[in-house]
Amino acid sequence: MTTLTTARMTGLFGFNQEAWIKLGLMLLALALMLIGLVFPLYTLLLKSVQNSAGEFIGLANYRHYFSTPSLVNSIANSFFIAIMTMCLVVVLAFFCAYGITRTCMPGKKVFKVLTLLPILAPSLLPAISLVYIFGNQGYLKGLLGGESVYGPIGIVIGMCFWIFPHALMILVTALSNSDARLYEAARSLKTPAWRTFLTVTLPGIRYGLMSCAFVVFTLAITDFGVPKIIGGQYNLLATDIYKQVVGQQNFQMGAVVSMILLLPAVLTFIADRWVQRKQTSQLSARAVPYQPSPSPVRDWVFAVLCFSVAGIILLMIGTAVYASLIQFWPYNLTYTLRHYQFDGLGGSGWESWFNSLKMASGVAVIGTLVIFTVAWMVEKTKEFSLLRQWVHLFAILPMAVPGMVLGLAYIFFFNHPNNPLNILYGTLAILILNTLVHFYTVCHLTSMTALKQLDPEFEAVGASLKVPFWRTYLRVTLPTSLPAVLDISVYLFVNAMTTVSAVIFLYGPDTRLASVAVLHLDEAGYFASAAAMSVLILLTSIVVKILHAMCTHLILKRSQIWRQR
Amino acid sequence: MGDVMRTIQQPSLAALVGQTAFMPDSDISESICLEIEGLSKSFGTFVALNSIDLTINEGEFVCFLGPSGCGKTTLLRAIAGLEPQSSGRIVQMGKEISHLPPQHRDFGIVFQSYALFPNLTLADNIAYGLRNQRHTRKAIQARVQELMSLIGLEGSEKKYPAQLSGGQQQRVALARALATEPGLLLLDEPLSALDAQVRVHLRQQIKALQKTLGVTTVMVTHDQEEALTMADRIVVMNHGVIEQVGTPEEVYRHPKSAFVAQFVGNMNFLSAEVCSPTAVMIGAQRYTTQPHALENKRPVHLAIRPEEVVLTSSGQAESQLEARVIHIEYLGAFLRLTCDVTSADIQLRVDIQHADAVQHQIQLGKDVHLALPAASCRVFRQDGN
Repeated sequence: MTTLTTARMTGLFGFNQEAWIKLGLMLLALALMLIGLVFPLYTLLLKSVQNSAGEFIGLANYRHYFSTPSLVNSIANSFFIAIMTMCLVVVLAFFCAYGITRTCMPGKKVFKVLTLLPILAPSLLPAISLVYIFGNQGYLKGLLGGESVYGPIGIVIGMCFWIFPHALMILVTALSNSDARLYEAARSLKTPAWRTFLTVTLPGIRYGLMSCAFVVFTLAITDFGVPKIIGGQYNLLATDIYKQVVGQQNFQMGAVVSMILLLPAVLTFIADRWVQRKQTSQLSARAVPYQPSPSPVRDWVFAVLCFSVAGIILLMIGTAVYASLIQFWPYNLTYTLRHYQFDGLGGSGWESWFNSLKMASGVAVIGTLVIFTVAWMVEKTKEFSLLRQWVHLFAILPMAVPGMVLGLAYIFFFNHPNNPLNILYGTLAILILNTLVHFYTVCHLTSMTALKQLDPEFEAVGASLKVPFWRTYLRVTLPTSLPAVLDISVYLFVNAMTTVSAVIFLYGPDTRLASVAVLHLDEAGYFASAAAMSVLILLTSIVVKILHAMCTHLILKRSQIWRQR
Repeated sequence: MGDVMRTIQQPSLAALVGQTAFMPDSDISESICLEIEGLSKSFGTFVALNSIDLTINEGEFVCFLGPSGCGKTTLLRAIAGLEPQSSGRIVQMGKEISHLPPQHRDFGIVFQSYALFPNLTLADNIAYGLRNQRHTRKAIQARVQELMSLIGLEGSEKKYPAQLSGGQQQRVALARALATEPGLLLLDEPLSALDAQVRVHLRQQIKALQKTLGVTTVMVTHDQEEALTMADRIVVMNHGVIEQVGTPEEVYRHPKSAFVAQFVGNMNFLSAEVCSPTAVMIGAQRYTTQPHALENKRPVHLAIRPEEVVLTSSGQAESQLEARVIHIEYLGAFLRLTCDVTSADIQLRVDIQHADAVQHQIQLGKDVHLALPAASCRVFRQDGN
């Protein structure tokens, strides 16, 4: 019985060594979240109740804020924009999702791919395109009937463009999860179609609809890129933070606006978590997926609708591509690649693209490893339940924090002269940390879902066979979750490539990013170069996305033998 | 133990079953494998295990039997160290393991879901624990071969779990658990995910394998038939306490409580009143019973199994009832009659053979005479104890 003696030996000399390692890993995860999220936010809160000399002055900053009409107006503006965007996007996304899931319209696959495109571009791209389409020299300016695109109209259109895919994905999932047996029951009871829609379809997706509305609202109220480019004199909370900090160097007021922007984001986040919980309990494992049957009129109506949407998406992207390829709109329409040379634009040129590439790769590799491992610790360990709950909470929290707020919080925390971590300031490392934390939540939840699908006893079997837990993680858990892991890494990469809100405060002279460069080029009046840089980001994301699709395909093909159910 | 395993030549386990499965347990040594003392476990205010005491001998096959939520799985997981107890002690082979993590305990475990690693071949699954023991590659391969033939799956080393049937997966899980030659085998409802026929077949195979290897085995099940056919001893549990520990025959023939009586097998319960240490009254009629220790006048249950009720022709035996057949259930090998007793407001279920049914011309509405043999009449208190 050699096993017995070895067990006794380890029992004596290294009592529960694995538990210590787990504790160590868990504390590291907690430290990451404290440094990357909690401490910066706390510093931000402190700043909002201090004066410029760092003395505590209570709510004086807030009083000042609420007595300045030009600042308070932004609250109403932000809500107006967010609610408008929410209504438009949810309705549009609902029809398109219905077309994909409940009709036999032609070209579903093509449509799905086209609707993905906006996610792969920075939110600055639609704004730039809108300038070319509806701006002072826009080719469709007449359609606005004299209204200026620089303001709420442009902001709402731009936001609808890049938020639409997010809403569509949520609603497609909600609509695909419906149970075909309910529809069969309704039909056998001779229920008219409109009543089936009201009593079966809508109740089935009501949580999906609510969740979708919350997500759209949050994205719209926190977005910075679109209003920055096309907002004109129309002030929003997100752009106010930038103006206060970068324009007026008024950090205290920036902190106050951040706290105010944090509030609706946190509230919708809480509501969304509540809705999500309801939604998962509603699904039954025995549901039969719904298969639509052809109906020519309906199918073509939805096809026309969906492809009009796809057409608009292509028009927006096409405009940016076209703008980047011609000499000088609208006077010299000859083609040229010179805008892609970024001549004489210093750090805003190719260098920034390489920086973005480095940063995005770093976030994708490090982030995937860290996030999946932490999710695995949270989901699969039995010990330290209190610690696990805290880590889980901190992992979900970043979704509630707008990028501008997180970025500003990082300035306050990391730029403080007494913080030993301030050597990170202005480096690629802080950009990676910030982006990792900023997009942590979705990856964490994806990991948790993938892990929950695994047999809960893998770890117990490993332990009973005296195999250390990390070996079971590397040999079984990680390989079986590989598709989810790849999804996470590409999500992180694309977001790191396109994000502008948080990193706008954090780049250094040597670490300017492509998305930040777009903003600077636009500010400096190099519109064609700004368009070129956005197109470059879009192309990079598309290439990575295609690589990811190929990888996933290969992996699934190789593992088909054991993955079959 | 490993030597025993290596001497087995038969690739098929089915061949072993006839010789070993139902032999008396004369060869069980009396040395103690596992001692559980005062083991309790609560989840918040819910008490899952309430001061469990249990001793399991080496080489024994013990079944934890009980309804869902009775604490049987919790007890198994406490033995494995997967869900540490709130209080109490567990001693394995003279060594206290109460606070050891699973990886420092000596056991192999098979789960209801099997938990086979889907991305590893059968050979890699079985070798999973071996690779850690610094065996040579050759020794591992030999051991895997040996186990594969032991479970009758030789030649399938390169297959993946998803390519196997449920029963085959189950056997691979068993081989994986046995690969490192653990001193204790834990089976957590290993058969409940399988079809009825495979289940019967596999339960003979597992039992035979356990006999051959002599490995101490604890199995959790809610299926009384499984427990009765496989176990050397059954531990009947309910609401976190042990109701009875005994051989299958003891548990079935001499249930210690009304709960055991009705959970294992079928049982008629008739309301009665104690009138002497060997008799009870039902209404105005007296019935002789097994000796009991309950005081006179106490309301009790007279318990008798449906197959123990005797169908007689007409009034000659004592303890006899007149009744009318009100329902006939056809159960294949036998018939189950529901009889309305004429003299009292009670119903009795009676199992009879087809031959008896023919002889007594059983049909709906038929008046019959039933005898309750004293040796089969058990007496239980009405409050459930």
